[in-house]
Amino acid sequence: MEARELDKNTLANMIDHTELHVDASYGDIRRLCLEATKYGFASLAIHPVNIPLAVKLLKGSTVKVDAAIGFPTGAFTIEGKVFETKDAIKKGAEEIDFVMNVGMFKAGNYGLVKDEMRAIKETAGDIVTKVILETCVLTDEEKIIACQIAKEAGIDFVKTSTGFGEKGATVADIKLMRQTVGGEMGVKASGGIRNTKDALAMIEAGATRLGTSAGIAIIEGLRE
Amino acid sequence: MKKQALARTIKTGIQRTDLTENEVRQAIERAKHYPFVAYAVDAPYLELAKELFEGTEVLLTAPVSYPLGGMTLETRLDQIAFAIKVGADEINPALNFNAIKSGDFSTVLDEIKRMVEAAGDNLDVIVIPQLYILTNEEKLKVCHIILKGGVTAVKTNGHGSLCRPEDITLLRREFGNDLSIEASGGIRTTAQAAELLELGTNFIHTSTPYSVLEDAE
Repeated sequence: MEARELDKNTLANMIDHTELHVDASYGDIRRLCLEATKYGFASLAIHPVNIPLAVKLLKGSTVKVDAAIGFPTGAFTIEGKVFETKDAIKKGAEEIDFVMNVGMFKAGNYGLVKDEMRAIKETAGDIVTKVILETCVLTDEEKIIACQIAKEAGIDFVKTSTGFGEKGATVADIKLMRQTVGGEMGVKASGGIRNTKDALAMIEAGATRLGTSAGIAIIEGLRE
Repeated sequence: MKKQALARTIKTGIQRTDLTENEVRQAIERAKHYPFVAYAVDAPYLELAKELFEGTEVLLTAPVSYPLGGMTLETRLDQIAFAIKVGADEINPALNFNAIKSGDFSTVLDEIKRMVEAAGDNLDVIVIPQLYILTNEEKLKVCHIILKGGVTAVKTNGHGSLCRPEDITLLRREFGNDLSIEASGGIRTTAQAAELLELGTNFIHTSTPYSVLEDAE
């Protein structure tokens, strides 16, 4: 996308307004719900434990409730992640961001990784699924393989980072991911996106969604 | 402090996003030569760890809602059922930190009771209150709630935090011997471990047990 042509509403609608801090309070979730509604962000990305509050506060808005699953390690069983996905959707989650089983992937157990992605997509049905690859621990070759597996498994977005790893999204990774998955699939850049310049660079590189807690600064920094 | 005696206070484990089965095997084979108290691995490796520790006295620790505490009660209960199924000995549930920081202690209490009930006689429950994000008032309040919920053991912090010696003093002074304390968070040296033990912690939790043992006799 030509990032310089973006208006504020279009950019806001590409942002998952994110609150995954360990010390967040209900007050923080309330504030983020208000902000998300005011700016028209795509979703509010939160821990499952906060879904009921967010569902209540976002009722009637276009902002979706986005649940982080298997977060942040991804080191859970397939059954465990499927259970958590089901539970999140039952409680009102409208998008699912789950962490890939990175350990199994690193060991070359691609069959299990794909089975897990398929099982989660099947559980989610029409609900948008984003798989977090945690790109900072993958080689470029592994990033390509992970993207291919996600595409084959029918996942809606490949996403770079949890924000809890050593590094977040890079322009180079977004380019590589976009090149690998082609034009149709979603690519979400997350981790370390702090300002309008970062955001536009990610979009220029091929990101269609941004995960950030700096959404307001990003929108306010956009030139009219 | 003697190495063997220090090792008998150590709970350890290996938990990393990109950890492979091979690394888990190697880590456990090494750990088996030491009299550690307990060993934690993430869910995909619990069955393997159970098998590898067979015949030793090392307790197997299963994480619950680890490390951010953001998982729902239902997911926690599912993870506890899995821990029982694979034969784990103890669980480390990270409490609902968002509820604690909101002063919603009734939810925290209710969740603890439900987890204790689910663990039954099968698992020891050692909860993580994440002291490093709490005020002193919150630390005491949550530990009272923990005891009220039927849990008598805490692991002070989860991953990526720092154990403050003054927290051990605070809990020991307030709760005497009613609360078993596992000091956790950034413990890397023998000197750190010795100080925390001196202050009254029952166990040292460290992901780097060999560096903690290094300067012991």
